[in-house]
Amino acid sequence: MSRHGYRYSAGKLLKHGVTRGDWPRMWSKPERRDSYDVVIVGGGLHGLATAYYLAKNHGITNVAVVDKGYLGGGGSGRNTAIVRSNYLTPEGVAFYDRSLQLYNTMASDLNLNVMLSRRGHLTLAHTDSALRTMTWRAEVNKLLDIDSSVIDPEEVKRLTPSLDVSSDTRYPILGALYHPPGGIVRHDAVVWGYARAADHLGVHLLQDTEVLDISCSGGDGPDGKGPGGRVTGVRTSRGDISAPVVVNCTAGWASLISNMAGVPLAITTHPLQAAVTEPCKVFLPTVVVSGSLHVYVSQTDRGELVFGASVDPIGTYRVNGTLEFTEELAGHVLELMPGISKMRLMRQWSGLCDMTPDYSPIMGFTAVDGYLVDVGWGTYGFKAGPVAGETMAETIATGRTADLIASFGIERFTEGDLVGEKGAAAVGH
Amino acid sequence: MSPRRIPSRPGELIDRSTTVSFTWNGRAFTGHQGDTIASALAAAGVEIFSRSMKYHRRRGIFSANHWDPNLSVQVGDEPNVRAGSRRLLEGMQVSAQNVWPSLRFDLGTANQLVGRFLSAGFYYKTFMRPQFLWHSLYQRILRKFAPGGRIHWNTSTHGAYDKRYAHPDVLIAGGGPAGMAAALSAAEAGATVMLVEQEPELGGHLRWGANDDLEVLADLRSAVEASPGIEVLVDSTVSGRYDHNWIAINQRSHPLAPERLIKARAGSLVVAPGLIERPYVFAGNDTPGVMLAGAVRRLTNLWAVRPGDRAVVLTASSEGDSAVADLESAGVEIVEVLDARSGADIVKVDGRGRVRKVHLGDGRTLAADLVVTATGWTAPTSLLNMAGDRPVYDPVAARYFPHALPDNVLATGGITGDGSIAELLAHGRETGELAAARALRIRHDVLTTTARSTSPKGPRPETVPDDRIPLRRVPHPECYRSSTHGLVDFSEDISSKDLMQAASEGFDSIELMKRYTTVTMGPSQGKLETVNAASVLAEARQVDMADVGTTVWRPPFSPISLGALAGRIFEPVRRSALQDWHEANGAVNLLAGQWVRPDRYGDPMAEALNVRNNVGLIDVTPLGKLDLRGPDVPKLLELVYVNRWQKLKVGRVRYGAMVGEDGVVSDDGVTGRLAKDHYLMTTTSSGAGAVWEMLEDWLQTYRSDWEVHVTPVTGGLTSINVAGPRSRDLLERLVGGVDLSADAFPYFSVRTGTVAGVADCIIWRIGFTGELSYELHVPSGHALHVWESLLATGSDLGAAPFGVEAQRILRLEKGHYIVGQDTDGLSKAPTAGLAGLVKLDKEDTVGLPELRAAFDRTDLPVLVGLQPDDPTVVPEEACQIVAGDSNEILGRVTSSRMSPTLGRSICLAQVDPKLAAAGTSVTVKLVDGSRITATVQEHHAHLDPEGERQRV
Ligand SMILES: Cc1cc2nc3c(=O)[nH]c(=O)nc-3n(C[C@H](O)[C@H](O)[C@H](O)COP(=O)(O)OP(=O)(O)OC[C@H]3O[C@@H](n4cnc5c(N)ncnc54)[C@H](O)[C@@H]3O)c2cc1C
Repeated sequence: MSRHGYRYSAGKLLKHGVTRGDWPRMWSKPERRDSYDVVIVGGGLHGLATAYYLAKNHGITNVAVVDKGYLGGGGSGRNTAIVRSNYLTPEGVAFYDRSLQLYNTMASDLNLNVMLSRRGHLTLAHTDSALRTMTWRAEVNKLLDIDSSVIDPEEVKRLTPSLDVSSDTRYPILGALYHPPGGIVRHDAVVWGYARAADHLGVHLLQDTEVLDISCSGGDGPDGKGPGGRVTGVRTSRGDISAPVVVNCTAGWASLISNMAGVPLAITTHPLQAAVTEPCKVFLPTVVVSGSLHVYVSQTDRGELVFGASVDPIGTYRVNGTLEFTEELAGHVLELMPGISKMRLMRQWSGLCDMTPDYSPIMGFTAVDGYLVDVGWGTYGFKAGPVAGETMAETIATGRTADLIASFGIERFTEGDLVGEKGAAAVGH
Repeated sequence: MSPRRIPSRPGELIDRSTTVSFTWNGRAFTGHQGDTIASALAAAGVEIFSRSMKYHRRRGIFSANHWDPNLSVQVGDEPNVRAGSRRLLEGMQVSAQNVWPSLRFDLGTANQLVGRFLSAGFYYKTFMRPQFLWHSLYQRILRKFAPGGRIHWNTSTHGAYDKRYAHPDVLIAGGGPAGMAAALSAAEAGATVMLVEQEPELGGHLRWGANDDLEVLADLRSAVEASPGIEVLVDSTVSGRYDHNWIAINQRSHPLAPERLIKARAGSLVVAPGLIERPYVFAGNDTPGVMLAGAVRRLTNLWAVRPGDRAVVLTASSEGDSAVADLESAGVEIVEVLDARSGADIVKVDGRGRVRKVHLGDGRTLAADLVVTATGWTAPTSLLNMAGDRPVYDPVAARYFPHALPDNVLATGGITGDGSIAELLAHGRETGELAAARALRIRHDVLTTTARSTSPKGPRPETVPDDRIPLRRVPHPECYRSSTHGLVDFSEDISSKDLMQAASEGFDSIELMKRYTTVTMGPSQGKLETVNAASVLAEARQVDMADVGTTVWRPPFSPISLGALAGRIFEPVRRSALQDWHEANGAVNLLAGQWVRPDRYGDPMAEALNVRNNVGLIDVTPLGKLDLRGPDVPKLLELVYVNRWQKLKVGRVRYGAMVGEDGVVSDDGVTGRLAKDHYLMTTTSSGAGAVWEMLEDWLQTYRSDWEVHVTPVTGGLTSINVAGPRSRDLLERLVGGVDLSADAFPYFSVRTGTVAGVADCIIWRIGFTGELSYELHVPSGHALHVWESLLATGSDLGAAPFGVEAQRILRLEKGHYIVGQDTDGLSKAPTAGLAGLVKLDKEDTVGLPELRAAFDRTDLPVLVGLQPDDPTVVPEEACQIVAGDSNEILGRVTSSRMSPTLGRSICLAQVDPKLAAAGTSVTVKLVDGSRITATVQEHHAHLDPEGERQRV
């Protein structure tokens, strides 16, 4: 990994335990330069991964990642960290599967245990039409060599005994799409892993630095912004930075940032809420998703149940959270597992999700030269972080859109060629 | 039996005349009514209640209240019960959590031996290779150590919890002196008041105070009881404050439900939760026998329990002084009182199961079994946070204070400052008055502006300025940590050293530190820990506390059960007016979205054939039905359907399809014109709600000048499809006022008439099954009569009911697609074969630009009729169509059935356009992996493509 990194290992833990010596900083606090080859806006997983792969795979290290707050303070620190690749379209499957491969070797690649737990992912079907969609996904997945199949209620019960698979419930479980390699990962560790590795390769991580504007010249719009122009840098709360390449990796804030370059995005921003219970002894071995009930749940190694749902219906930037969310969530979870009615909800929170009409991201070049986007990540961007970073880095370094993201270009909204992931992504995260 | 119970105390809560029996880890114990689980056990001499999460250190009583991190126990099937506040009940089976195999001998203590290697975030730094071992081995072991109680799978109180809605003018969170005073003055001002207290009795800290406190309390209580305007909820917690003062209360004292959620819309919220004592950080601060001053005061005064024999007290405030007095009166020997204000300090405590020795800052060592600290307060500001406030740290008083609150949220009591009881009461009263004044103004406004307004009494109340005299802030030393390291987070086993290390590794903002170390992430969500964590961070960064900030508090204030949140499940299954009949007549049900409906009565193949040969009846009530009235209905239809509607004549029906803004088919159905300005629209069953919302969205926002009135009538009209060559014969016997002859009532027409004597039935002639058929929309109250009459009158014609499965067979034979099954989230109008229907030259239609683009394309998939070459094989729906032996996907089977009419398998499929020509042979991969061939048909319809059977 490292040019000047400090490697973690069991041996180091022993050594520090014995000597009680200090651990080095995970990442440094660099002096900001006036110009960089690439400025990445957004210090979440996507920005950090892009920076890391620029440095690692392409030797481009004069890179700054700029964030208005702390690293991972956006969606990357709030998500429920489900990873899977059983998407519906061949494009989606190939893309997310590459991400899963990167997750697989991430701990040793980044020298940080990201606690990937491929514990199996179950998407429950409560109606025969849901079952048909699951079969569709499973059949596509099998053709693309993804481990994914439709299983019956008995098998669901065997894999996850806490589920009520009886037929007299309001939403009977008729079967499930079972994806053994799906699972969860420790989201913060992934962020820190990329941050630390990128820092060690010379990337500058500039926290508490808000981008206020993107400077452009030659474009059709005001101040030289918009189509036909090119990027010259960013204005931040800590001063101007010039750069020939600016990458927008700001998830829930992406359309605000993109407007700064005069590139409007087909995005509406919705809050997505989540909640966690007090710990109980571990009983839930898999990740369970129910699209009809708008809920998914997994149990952390600390014994807490982590719940998520689908996005709030009304678009807003407020992330206060609602009581109704917890009520509906609890009702639906108890529908699936009546036995846990005495577990207590401990904390609820909310984050922003930037939804595109086709539940697929917007990636790559735009009509403004040097301004690239890696946005539109909705409720599924965490699992995509590694491959998004890898392909964005390739696109920036080679000047050519990477193959895996060819169908995610911004032009599809004007050409009417949307991607068909709505069915597989709506609650699936 | 109760070696630590002391003689009667003036404020004690226990009723010594009672005996309550319970078990602790299987052993029998007794306590009194009024005891908490913890106080009864402590009275009996129990000292260890739990083991810590990471190192499995022994843990005893620490704060003796709801927030005590060491007192989570299992009670029967309920995990994580707070033994420090939960009152004892007869027969409780209480056991320790987080121990294995037992509380006394716990194998997890092995972690203590390696503790020095388990520094903050240690797990991130190892177990990286080999990769698979993390999940298959290490993680499994780690998961065994998860803390918390156990789920009992036969627990099923789900559904028994109930909810309540309340609309108090003033809602008060906290029933201490300030909260009670606020309640009284608000009620006097004419407001309805809800006073919510987490403990089972009102009084707050007065309860464990001296005699004069108890007298004040008694007066307050009787005043509150005497006030008709105050509803008191004890054993209840205000668990969240949401926008517009929407407030969640978790009520535990309800006689019928173990817990219930009260949802209150309050005019004013008064936050009066008092203060929480802050632990002191020093080596060994989690040793059993180290307690907060409040804990020993509660134990002695409320439950008459002597918390130890020889005490060392470290105090920085009057709370410590009071604790000394209480301990002395309980017969505890005070070994030494250390005044932190003059620099005295405790650096370390020794002892494993109990405190033995106390090492002082001046180098001395004292023998003691009890260490009491009173080193500061934490303001539980989380409800204020939820109202948008960011409390501010005051270094002089060494705690946080409210900063800027919205008008409908007020704070009083200890959370806002210090004072004598009289001062607290005065502040509470003024706050109550202000809260009432603001709330009454809101009430007046609501009464005058809502639709059902009644005229309120009197004029609109004046705005009242907030001229309350703020409570004082008594200076308090910033006592956070001794010269040694100790625990900051007891539930997570996080020490100040861990936090220092995290800061030095770069996790030097409070949010990053929290995430890296998990500090404040346990069940009390930082109530005891947050401020100490911030102080350690400030120390590590060498900045002021105020510059560090805190993490954001989020709901709930204290954890709330899923059962209470869920309440009763109000997700009814919809039943048509005929469903009872279906069930009485052998229907096998199908749960289809909101509806339960007959899938079949007997053999669906036979039911289908009966429709082809005779006449069948199906209950299609779930079809969405919208009654549209007004002169602008044609404009609306023109906007939402892809085809033309301006010229639809009275008495005619027409098929229409809708697409979204993306050009993707979203719904379809027929709409008929019943009279000049009166239409009935039908939608798919699953789309009924969405189409209604979409119409209202257009009418209420973008086209508000259009005169259209939409009424959903899905359940009001029961829909019966009468299908088959003999359907006309049957209806002729029962229909009145309508000429049913082919000329007078042609295909795609609508009439209104009488059926079996029932007037105002809408009859339209359409055909989903491909046969001559009529759809009757009958007022639901008369539906059963009509249905039974049809069957009885038509018995000689072979009239029999058929279910959804037979209908699916029939429609597939006829090649009718189903939106959402044969189309999907990407299927634009051309794919569904709607080229003839869509009118691209229309002025405006939802999705028109996308449609124009779509019809220019040649690469869109095409829906085709498909027949397997082996007529006995029915490929499962969703099977993929592939290129020969390769894995290249070229389409999929969207519908498939065995056709009883044709005696062979039939399908609809979406295929790549290059496979769409009739006669093309395609390869279908079956679910079992084998591959078959099938041939693309000329039409979607496998039967009667010209439609001769339905036009007779
Ligand atoms: C509750 C919830 C649950 C989710 N669950 C899952 C899941 O299970 N699986 C999954 O795959 N995905 C999930 N997601 C989605 C996932 O979290 C996001 O798609 C992903 O984290 C996006 O990462 P990012 O790096 O693009 O953006 P973020 O992590 O949001 O980072 C964007 C950064 O941009 C910064 N920024 C914004 N404006 C500016 C500015 N003007 N100047 C400088 N910096 C700025 C922000 O501070 C932020 O740090 C979930 C999301 C939420 C909210």
